[in-house]
Amino acid sequence: MTLLLAVPTTPATPVAPPALLLSAMVWVPALAAIGLLLFPTRTQVQRERVRSFAIGAAVLTLAFAVFMWYGFRDQSGTYAYEEARGWLQGIGSSYHLGVDGVSMPLLLLSALLFVVAVLASSRLREQAKEFYILLLLLETGVIGAFASLDYLLFFLFWQLQAVPMFLLIARFGGPRRLSAAWKFLVVDLAASALLLLAILILYFKAPVRTFDISTLHDLALPAATATLIGWLFFIAFAVRLPAFPFHTWFLDAQAEASAPAALILGGVLVKLGGYGIIRVNLGEFQNTFHKFSGAVVVIAVVTVLWGAIAALAQDDLRRLVGYVVMSHMGLVLLAAASAAPIAINGAVLLMVADGLTAALLVLMAAAIAERAGTSSIRAMGGMAAQMGRGAIFWILAALAAIGFPGLASFIGQFMIVVGAYPSQRIAAWLAVLGILVLAGAMILTVQRIFFGATPERLGRLRDLGTLELFNAATLTTLIVLLGVLPAILMDSINFSVLSLLSRGGG
Amino acid sequence: MLALLAAAPKGPLDTWSPTLLALFALLLPLIALIIVLAFTVDSRRVSAWIAVIFTLAAAACTVLVVAIELAHPLHLERPATFLTFFTGQSGSAAEFTLQWGVLADPLAAVMSLTVALVSLLVQLYALTFMRREDGVVRFFCVLLFATFAMLGVTFSINYFEMLLFFGLVTLSTYLMIGHWWQREEAAAAASRAFIVSAFGDIALLAGVAYIYFRFNELNFQALSGHYTGGRVSANGLFIMAILVFIAAAAKSAQFPLHVWLSGSAQAPAPAAALIHSAGSALCGVYLIARTYGLFHVSPRGLALLAIAGGLTAVLGVLWALFQDNLKRAIAYTTMSELGLMVLALGIGAYGASIFELFAHAWPKALLFLAAGVIIRELRTERMAEMGGLWRRMRFTGWLMAIAVAAAAGVPPFSTFWSKDTILSKALDLGSPLAIAVITLVTFLGAMALVRILALVFTGETARRRRFEPDRIRDAGGRIAFTMAVLAIASLVSGIRGFGGRTDPIAFVTFPGVSLPNSHFVAAGVIAATAVLGALVAFVVFARRVPLPAALQPVSHAMGEGLFVDRAYRLAAVGIVLPASRAASWVETRVVDGALDLVGESIEFAGQPRRWLAEVRIRPLLIGFFAAVVALGTLAIVLAGGIIGKTG
Repeated sequence: MTLLLAVPTTPATPVAPPALLLSAMVWVPALAAIGLLLFPTRTQVQRERVRSFAIGAAVLTLAFAVFMWYGFRDQSGTYAYEEARGWLQGIGSSYHLGVDGVSMPLLLLSALLFVVAVLASSRLREQAKEFYILLLLLETGVIGAFASLDYLLFFLFWQLQAVPMFLLIARFGGPRRLSAAWKFLVVDLAASALLLLAILILYFKAPVRTFDISTLHDLALPAATATLIGWLFFIAFAVRLPAFPFHTWFLDAQAEASAPAALILGGVLVKLGGYGIIRVNLGEFQNTFHKFSGAVVVIAVVTVLWGAIAALAQDDLRRLVGYVVMSHMGLVLLAAASAAPIAINGAVLLMVADGLTAALLVLMAAAIAERAGTSSIRAMGGMAAQMGRGAIFWILAALAAIGFPGLASFIGQFMIVVGAYPSQRIAAWLAVLGILVLAGAMILTVQRIFFGATPERLGRLRDLGTLELFNAATLTTLIVLLGVLPAILMDSINFSVLSLLSRGGG
Repeated sequence: MLALLAAAPKGPLDTWSPTLLALFALLLPLIALIIVLAFTVDSRRVSAWIAVIFTLAAAACTVLVVAIELAHPLHLERPATFLTFFTGQSGSAAEFTLQWGVLADPLAAVMSLTVALVSLLVQLYALTFMRREDGVVRFFCVLLFATFAMLGVTFSINYFEMLLFFGLVTLSTYLMIGHWWQREEAAAAASRAFIVSAFGDIALLAGVAYIYFRFNELNFQALSGHYTGGRVSANGLFIMAILVFIAAAAKSAQFPLHVWLSGSAQAPAPAAALIHSAGSALCGVYLIARTYGLFHVSPRGLALLAIAGGLTAVLGVLWALFQDNLKRAIAYTTMSELGLMVLALGIGAYGASIFELFAHAWPKALLFLAAGVIIRELRTERMAEMGGLWRRMRFTGWLMAIAVAAAAGVPPFSTFWSKDTILSKALDLGSPLAIAVITLVTFLGAMALVRILALVFTGETARRRRFEPDRIRDAGGRIAFTMAVLAIASLVSGIRGFGGRTDPIAFVTFPGVSLPNSHFVAAGVIAATAVLGALVAFVVFARRVPLPAALQPVSHAMGEGLFVDRAYRLAAVGIVLPASRAASWVETRVVDGALDLVGESIEFAGQPRRWLAEVRIRPLLIGFFAAVVALGTLAIVLAGGIIGKTG
C-alpha cells in the first residue's frame, strides 16, 4: 500500500527530457563506426567481436529512439528534444536538432531497420568490418537528416549518406553492382546539388542571415524566387523518393545491392524524400507548393501506376520489390500534393508501414533468390513444398505490400485515398487503380514462386534459418501491430501534422 | 419455443446484451485460430477439435443473438465500438474516426447464425473428410479465419470495418481455393479469385472515399438518415450505389465479375460448401442488404440490382445446365441463386431476399458436401463418368434428392417459401419482366439441379481403368450425420408457421419497404414450374437423351461459360502484359538512356572498375572524410565571402 502511495501519479510539470538524447542518437553510430576502424579482424573471434560491437551500436541507437518515443508527447507546434547550440555563427548556421510527430515515427523506423540490416548481414565473410562501418556512418547520416532543424546541417547529413551508400552498393552487391552504384552516386549528387542551390538561394534572399528551418519560414519572397526554391526542393526530394522519371537509379540499386543495403535503401533512404517534401515543401512553403501541386499530382499518379504496371511483368524478384516501394512512395507524394490532414497522417503512417514492408520483402526476396540460385521468377515454382515458412512470410509480405486489411499499410492507404479524394478526385481514382494492379502483380508472384509443381532444377531447398526467421517475425509482428493498433503512432503524428500544415499554410 | 422464451418475465434474453454476444461470436474463431497456431499446430486431431468446439461456442452465441432479437425486436440496436484505430481532426470537418465494433440487429443476427452453423457443420464434416489429406491443420486454420472474416462482415458497423473484413474474406477465399496449391489449376483459380475479389474491395475503397467526401460519415446507421436528406444529388447517390454494387458483385459473382466462382470448385468440398452457402459468395448480397438505404433512395441503383441480378440468374442456370464438371455445375446454380437474391433486392423484396439467403444456405452446403463424398468415391469430377449410384449410395442419394428439391423450390422445402415471397413481390409490382425472369430461373434451376441428380444417380456407372465400382461405399459416421443435419435444415428452414414476429419475412425488415402479401398465385406458379422443371429434366437426363446436333455449339459455348473467362485472359495477356513490358522498355531505353550516357562517360574517364576492385576501403573512407571536410570548408568560405560582401 505504501509502495503504491509512493508512486507519483500525474506529475504537475513534465520532467525535462534528457538534453543530449537526440545528439547521442545521431552520433553514436558514427562514433561506433570510427571505433570499429580500430578493431582487428584476423581471427574468427575478432570478427565475431566486430559483429557484436556493430549490433550493440545499432541496438543502442534503437534503444534511444524507443526511449524518445516513449517520452514523446504532443508538443503543440514546437519540437521535442530540441537542441540548439552555436555552430558556425558567422554564417548563421547552428547545430539545431529536434523531432516532432512527423520525424519521430521515421526515426524509430530507421533505428529499427538499421538493427535489422546489421543482423541480416551475417552472411558477409570478407570485409564485414567495412560493411558495418559504412552502415553505421549511413545511420548517422539518416538520423541526422531526420532530426536536423537547420538547412545547412540537414544538407550535410544528407550528403553524408551518398558515399557510404555508394560504397555499400559498389563493394557488396551483385554482378552489375558497379553500374548501379555509379548511377546512384551521379543521380544523388545531382539532386543534392539542387538541394544546396535551393538552400543557398533561400539563404541569400532571406532578410535574416540564418539557415534555421523554422526561422526561414513565412518569408515575403518574390513569387518567382519562391517558385524556383519550391521546385528545386521538390526535385531534389523527388529524386530520392523515387518519383517518375527519376526512379531508375533506385531500381538498379535495389536489384544489385546486397540484402542489408537494399533494405536500408528501400526502407529508409527513400523515406527521406517523402519526409523532405512533407517537412520543407509542405511545412515551410505550402503556398508555393500549392501553386504547382497540379504537376506534383501528375507525377504522383504516374509514379503509382508506373510502379504497379511495371511490377506486373517484372521477372526480377528484387526489382519487383523496388517497384512496390516506388508505387507506395507515389501514394505518399499524392498525399503531399493534396495537403489534406487525413492524407498526410496516412502518408506518414504509410512511410513507416512501407519501410517495414520493404524490409520484409527485401529480406524474403534475398532468401528466396539465394535458395533458387537466381532472382528470376520464371525459374522458380512450387517452392512452398520445401520452404513452408518462407512461403508464409512472403505471402504476408506481399499482403502487406498491397495494403491488406489488418496489416500496416492498409490504414495508411485508406487514409490517403479518403483524405486526398476531395481535392484530387481523378488522381485518387487512378491511385486506387494502381493499388489494384499491384495487388494482382503480388498475388501472381506468390503463385509463380511458391505454388504449382517444383522445377527439377531447384533440387533440395533449405527453409528459413533462425536469424532469417527472427528478422521476418519481428517485422511481421510490427506490421500486424501497426495494422491493428495504428493509434500507438497516429496520436503523435496527428498533432504534428496539424501544426505543420497550419504553419505552412500561414 | 422461442416465443415461449420471450414470454418469460426476466430471463436471460432480457438481460443479456446482444452486442456482447455478437462480440463473443466474432472473437471465438479468432481466439481458436490463435490457440491453434500458438500451441497445437503439430497435432491435427487436437487442432481440429479446438476449431470445432470454438465454432460451436460461436454458433451458440449467434443462436442467442437471434433469440434476443426475436424476443425483443429492435432491442439495443446501437452499434458498440470496441476499438478505435484512429481519431483525428480532419481539418475543416468534424472528427475523423476509424472504429471497429459490432452491430447486432436482425439482419446481422440471421446472417451470423447461418455463417456460424454452416461453418460448424462443415468443420464436423471435414474432421472425417480431410483425415487423410495433407495440411489438415492449415485447412482448419483457414476455415476458422474464414468464419472470423465472415462474422466480421456480418457485424460491421461502418464502411471502414466492412472494407477491412471484405479484405479478410478475400484472403480466406484465396486460401480455401488454393488449399491444394500443388495443383496448377487450383493455384491459378485462387489467384483469379483474389484478383476479382480485390477489384471489388478496391471499388469499395473508392466508394468509401466518395461517401466520406460527401457525408463526412462512415457509420451505417448514421448514414442511413443522410441518404434521404438531399445532401447529395441523384447522380452522386447512383455513383455510390454503383461502387458498392461492384464490390458486392465481385464477391457475389454477379455478371461479369463471376469468373472466379466456377474456379472455387477447386477448393476442398467442405471449403466449397462454406464459400457457396454462407461464405464469401454471400457477403456481396449481405453488403447490398446492409447498405440498402443507398439503393433505396436511388431508383437507378435498384434498377441496376434488378438487371444485373436477373442477368446473372439466367446465365447461371444456363451454364449450370451444360456443365459437365459436378462441382462447377453446383457452383453455377449458386451463381443463379445469388442473381435471384440481388434481383429480389432490386425489386424491393428486402426481407424475401434475406430469407432466400437463409433458406438457400442449407441445401447448397449439403449439395457440395454430398458432391465431395461422391467425387471421393468415384475419383472423378466429370458427370459423364458417373451414374448408377442409386444402388450403391442410397443414403447420399436420398439426401441429395432432398437438397435438390429444396434448392429447386419444390414445395414444401426451404427455398420454395422464399422464391414464393420474391415472386409475390414481383406480382405486387406488376413487372412482367421480373415475373418472367423469376419463373424462368425457377424452371431452369430445377432442371439444372435435377439434371445433376439424374446424371449421377441413374443409369450405369461408367467403367474406367483402375476403378472398381464395387468398392464404392456410402457415406457413414460423422459425414452422414452432418449431411443429415443439413437435410433436416433444408426441410424446415423455410417454414413460416409461427406467424407474427417469428415469421422469417417479418424478422428482417427495412423501413419503408413494405412486406409482400403472399399470393397463392405465386406459390402455385413456383410450385408448378419447379416440379415441372424437375420432371422434364428427370425424363430427359435419366434417359440420357442425346443433345440434338444443332445445339452442340450452344452446349459448347455454355459449357465454356460463354467464353467470358477466355475474354478476360485475352485482355490480360493482350493489354496489361504488353503495357507492363512497354513500361520496362521505356524505362531502360528512354529514361535510362540519358543516365547511362553520363555513367558510361564517367566509367570511360576514370576506369573505375579496376580502380574500385583494387583499392582497399580504408583509403576510400579517409578520402570520404576529407571530401566532407573540404565540402564543408568550401561552403563556409563561400558563404563567408558573400556575407562579407553583403554585410
